[in-house]
Amino acid sequence: MSQIVVGYDGCGCSDAALDRAIELAKQLGDGITVVFGYAPPGLWGGEIAEHEEAIEELGERLMAEASRRAAAAGIEAETELVPKRSTEALIDVAARRDARMIVVGSYGEPPLKGFILGSTPNKLLHLSERPVLVVPSRHGDDG
Amino acid sequence: MESAAVPAPAPGQTEHSPGVEDKGLKKNAIGFASSVVIGVASTAPGYSLAATLGFVAAAVGLESPAILLISFVPMFLVAGGYYYMNKADPDCGTSFSWVTKAMGPQLGWIAGWAIVIADIIVMANLAQIAGLYTFLLFGWTSAAASTVAVTAVGVVWIVLMTAIVVIGIELSARTQIGLLAAEIFTLALFAVVALIKVYAGSAAPGAIHPSLSWINPFSLSPSEISAGMLLAVFIYWGWDTTATVNEETEDPGEAPGKATVVSTVILLGIYIIVAVAAQAYTGVGGLVEHQEDVLSSLGTEVFGSPLDKLLIIAVLTSAAASTQTTILPTARTTLSMARAHALPGSLGKVHPRYLTPHVSTLLMGGLSVVWYVGLTIVSEDILFDSLAALGLMIAFYIGITGVACTIYYRRELLRSVKNFFFIGVGPTVGGVILFYLLVKNGIELADPANSESGNSWLGLGPPLVIAISFLILGVVLMCVQWRKFPAFFRRRPQVVPAGFLEGEAPPPGPTGVGEGE
Repeated sequence: MSQIVVGYDGCGCSDAALDRAIELAKQLGDGITVVFGYAPPGLWGGEIAEHEEAIEELGERLMAEASRRAAAAGIEAETELVPKRSTEALIDVAARRDARMIVVGSYGEPPLKGFILGSTPNKLLHLSERPVLVVPSRHGDDG
Repeated sequence: MESAAVPAPAPGQTEHSPGVEDKGLKKNAIGFASSVVIGVASTAPGYSLAATLGFVAAAVGLESPAILLISFVPMFLVAGGYYYMNKADPDCGTSFSWVTKAMGPQLGWIAGWAIVIADIIVMANLAQIAGLYTFLLFGWTSAAASTVAVTAVGVVWIVLMTAIVVIGIELSARTQIGLLAAEIFTLALFAVVALIKVYAGSAAPGAIHPSLSWINPFSLSPSEISAGMLLAVFIYWGWDTTATVNEETEDPGEAPGKATVVSTVILLGIYIIVAVAAQAYTGVGGLVEHQEDVLSSLGTEVFGSPLDKLLIIAVLTSAAASTQTTILPTARTTLSMARAHALPGSLGKVHPRYLTPHVSTLLMGGLSVVWYVGLTIVSEDILFDSLAALGLMIAFYIGITGVACTIYYRRELLRSVKNFFFIGVGPTVGGVILFYLLVKNGIELADPANSESGNSWLGLGPPLVIAISFLILGVVLMCVQWRKFPAFFRRRPQVVPAGFLEGEAPPPGPTGVGEGE
């Protein structure tokens, strides 16, 4: 069974990506792996582990939500919390699972904003050795 | 990370990839150069000098280089405490976690509070310098002289710095090294050119030849030492970060010690050389006259146009760099406090996309703006008075952390001579020196005549009133939180078991203040 790897961070656009990935997995008979990459920003300074734990809890909540969504659509999703930046996390998991493709949502934000904030879909398109499917955010879903 | 070796997890389960247990910094091991950079950049030498040199000169006169030298002693002694606290608590906690563990939740809370308040005050001072230097960079002197214009740009700086931390924009290690190298080079160049001009006789009218007595602390009176040191403790603020980062360097056997030594030498060297050169060039009078922005006025005289812009850029990059080393770690302190139910829970939130402690950061950015604008409206002098109040807070929380280390490790102290001196005597003596400064200055600042503004609030000097007001506010807020969430405040202090350092005993209790409830 081939795998589809999907990035999920709980925003409207990643909901769209997850839904599309679930739909594709059902059509192709694939399994689904939901990924949340969570390297905390800032390399040093106090209480970094507390910060990381807070992010981990957020990730666990998101993964539970993703599993619930998948289960509601009748598919069992695997989830991975990866302590890396999102792009790197997705590429790693996809390689490890020999994924058919990577699915991510796009925020639908202007390129300049994406450049400043760092755009995961953009980076993935350039760095991934596997096909990448970018799902646009549903109308009015996310800013 | 070796991905091939990882078996696929059972479906439906959340798999933690390998490396999760290796928390935080370990997976982002830091190299020697970066370690040095962290140590130096965290203290923001350019900004620290610009903000304090004039005030130190006003307090002690010709011997300000000596003050800069001896101010390092308590910081150095307490840094040993940071190192060992970090060993027992590999969570990279800081004063809040450590003091809570060693001395109980009430003192821990107040230590965390001191960090937060220090951060809010320093943001305002940073904004003031950044606002001023922004106009000077473009040679717009009329705007630089306008309080409204400087404050407006200062607020823009706070907003910008807060946004950078919320969004989590990071400069790469290489960019940081580059910026810091440029800053150090500029400061060194300034010192060299100033000294050449002094000896060539083309310096300012008040110029004097440097003398060895400038770095001799024994010619100072006790009250000069305490006033000067309290100001100067501020310039080493942030250096302690090196001690907590060290454990995580790529080669823990070699790199940590060397990186600390190198960053210390660079820092001490640059402070003393720049202080000596600035003083030689313009004399004490010149420094005092421009105490609010020593480096910009001197830079113009020493370098001439357009090279003087180099110094302004160095101060600005230095101020900007401290966003990464001051604001984010402080936001983490409130995050950690919130997760321990020592502060309202919303401060413990992280942003789902940026993964930063955005609520904490935004709140502190907002409070800094309120503080900065509010104080500027009341009186600009009081903004500078708050620098003295800042010294009281930094001395408090760094001092208490030093003492906490000795208390935390009390069962280890007599197990070796090294333990006795590095864990027992060093941090405690450092802490006691800082507390001495705190009390001595507290008494002197009680006299309104000893403040920048010369104002009298309730018969006391403004810096002391600022510090005491924040302390009272802190105690009140702590009591409010205590009533709402008593669990945190019921925690018992812990102790490091004998034999921990030799690996014979496990570390005390669960790690992380947020656990073990």
